[in-house]
Amino acid sequence: MTAEAGPMKKILVVDDEPDVCLYLSRLLQENGYAAASAADGLEAMQAVERDQPDLITLDLSMPNKSGVRFYREIKARADLKDIPVVFVTGVTGLGGSSADTARFYSTRSQVPPPDGFIAKPIDPHEVLDTVGRLLHRSG
Amino acid sequence: MAESPTVESVAAVLDLRALTGGRLLDDVPCYISIQDRQFRILEANRKLKEDFGEHLSEHCYTVFKGRIEPCPECPVARTFQDHQEHTSSETIFDRSGLPHAVIVKTSPLHGPSGEIVAVMELFADITVQKELENRLHDSLTRFHNLFDVVPCYVSVHDRDFRIVEANQRFKESFSRRLGGYCYEIYKRRTEPCTSCPVADAFADGRSHSDEQVVIDNAGRQLHVVVYTAPVRDPRGRITDVMQVAADITEMRSLQDQLASLGRLVGGIAHSIKNVLEGLRGGVYVANLGFRDQNQADIQTGWGMIQRNVDRLSAMILDMLYCAKERSPRPLPVCLPEVTRAVLQLFGARAADSGVKLEAQIADDLPDLLGEPRDIHSLISNLVGNALDACYTDQDERKSPRVMVRVFREDQQAVIEVADNGTGMDEETRGKLFTMFFSTKGASGTGLGLVVARKVVSEHGGTISVDSTPEQGSTFTVKLPLGGPP
Repeated sequence: MTAEAGPMKKILVVDDEPDVCLYLSRLLQENGYAAASAADGLEAMQAVERDQPDLITLDLSMPNKSGVRFYREIKARADLKDIPVVFVTGVTGLGGSSADTARFYSTRSQVPPPDGFIAKPIDPHEVLDTVGRLLHRSG
Repeated sequence: MAESPTVESVAAVLDLRALTGGRLLDDVPCYISIQDRQFRILEANRKLKEDFGEHLSEHCYTVFKGRIEPCPECPVARTFQDHQEHTSSETIFDRSGLPHAVIVKTSPLHGPSGEIVAVMELFADITVQKELENRLHDSLTRFHNLFDVVPCYVSVHDRDFRIVEANQRFKESFSRRLGGYCYEIYKRRTEPCTSCPVADAFADGRSHSDEQVVIDNAGRQLHVVVYTAPVRDPRGRITDVMQVAADITEMRSLQDQLASLGRLVGGIAHSIKNVLEGLRGGVYVANLGFRDQNQADIQTGWGMIQRNVDRLSAMILDMLYCAKERSPRPLPVCLPEVTRAVLQLFGARAADSGVKLEAQIADDLPDLLGEPRDIHSLISNLVGNALDACYTDQDERKSPRVMVRVFREDQQAVIEVADNGTGMDEETRGKLFTMFFSTKGASGTGLGLVVARKVVSEHGGTISVDSTPEQGSTFTVKLPLGGPP
């Protein structure tokens, strides 16, 4: 799926694994998107303010709950809360478990759910479908 | 007297038949005999004659006990002596040689002038009772042995929650003395527990069970599963409650270990998944490069593949190391040499990161006994971590530095790796040696310190960490000089 005509959509990839950032960025670039990456919540916030991305992919299993904190922060800001966010989740294992995700929802019911989920291991088709659907809809 | 009176003369004096009431004494269901001072049987009732035979004029000690001289503690003799009645318990043997356990009662018989001429001896056969007594005793002993050897804590509680009876195991683990309050002894409480299966059994006369944590006399916590049952008297009233507690501490501990194993497997899967992600990414990017003849992509992609293959190798080696139970070969290890080798390995990396890598090594340290490769691995882990701690520290005011010290302390070699990097909080310090815990996100295997600790323990040493958040950490390893004990 390629991006529609008009200015290229910008996607921010947030993941502490540099190889995942490389992979996703390259995948998105190949399919007509502009991509930037950030390795933790702090860098992500800086990138969001700097680049105004059209969509964010967010790894929840980053250390120090950095991803979760980042998500809460942007959803709390009027100027940022409408950027679609896609969670990239590892379903099992330490950190980013489905238990963490469930807990996240149960304790902060005023934080809205994300616009999409991608499970690891990442399926490139799923990534492109999700991103395309969200950006077309909001575009 | 000048000579001992004959049996006939005594009998005549006494008019024994009259004295013994004729048929009455013949029919009583015990043995009656009358002896003179020489212990000769003057008269016997019919029952005695039936079971022991006609033995008039023979000595009682011969007839009853087959002895050739008087018995040492003879109630007949005592009665002759002090003119009093006496009681004793004896065993006598009838004409078939069968023993009879008897209670003996002796009474003096007086002649016309008031002197004692004979002693009447009454034997009550208690053989059956004795037999029952013995059987009861055996039964009780057996029961008590079973009670004691039952591999559970058995205790009997009264309505006030005092322990009135307990088996050996209970006594050994909780309280040797009886009479204490159960809630004090193994719950360390000052009043009865709110939920109590003993109280429940008293209340409704039924059995109850519960799972509890109790404290033994060494202060250890034990998990037990408890069963209680009421104990009733012959009238059916509940007098006590018996409690049987089975120790399930080990089982619970195994359950915990199993749960840990489950988490471990999950951790391994997660780590491998991350590596797979990197490999796929590398393949994808490299393929783009091959397709478009794009060198940059080929290099990037291939680099990702290589990196992740290396990560996987390191991870698997670490996992195998952790899984193996082995004791190190006792090779001589020159700690100063190994330490310098490690420092050289990390020299370039430290320089690139702007971290000063310093060392103070005592060259006169005697050799250790152990596996040189493992010690190398151990020091590498610690130095690598220290460098990472400095590198991730974003405090620009600090000049990052890692100091490695190797020295002797009594019979131990001490390796100290100190950094002035990010430091760790309590929570992190607590999780430090657990598997797959890493503060380094993707770049940590999460196994480094687990491996380090295994090496240390296999060499008979200790490892500890001191840390202050934002100021740095110091890891201290102590290894015995003579090798592991």
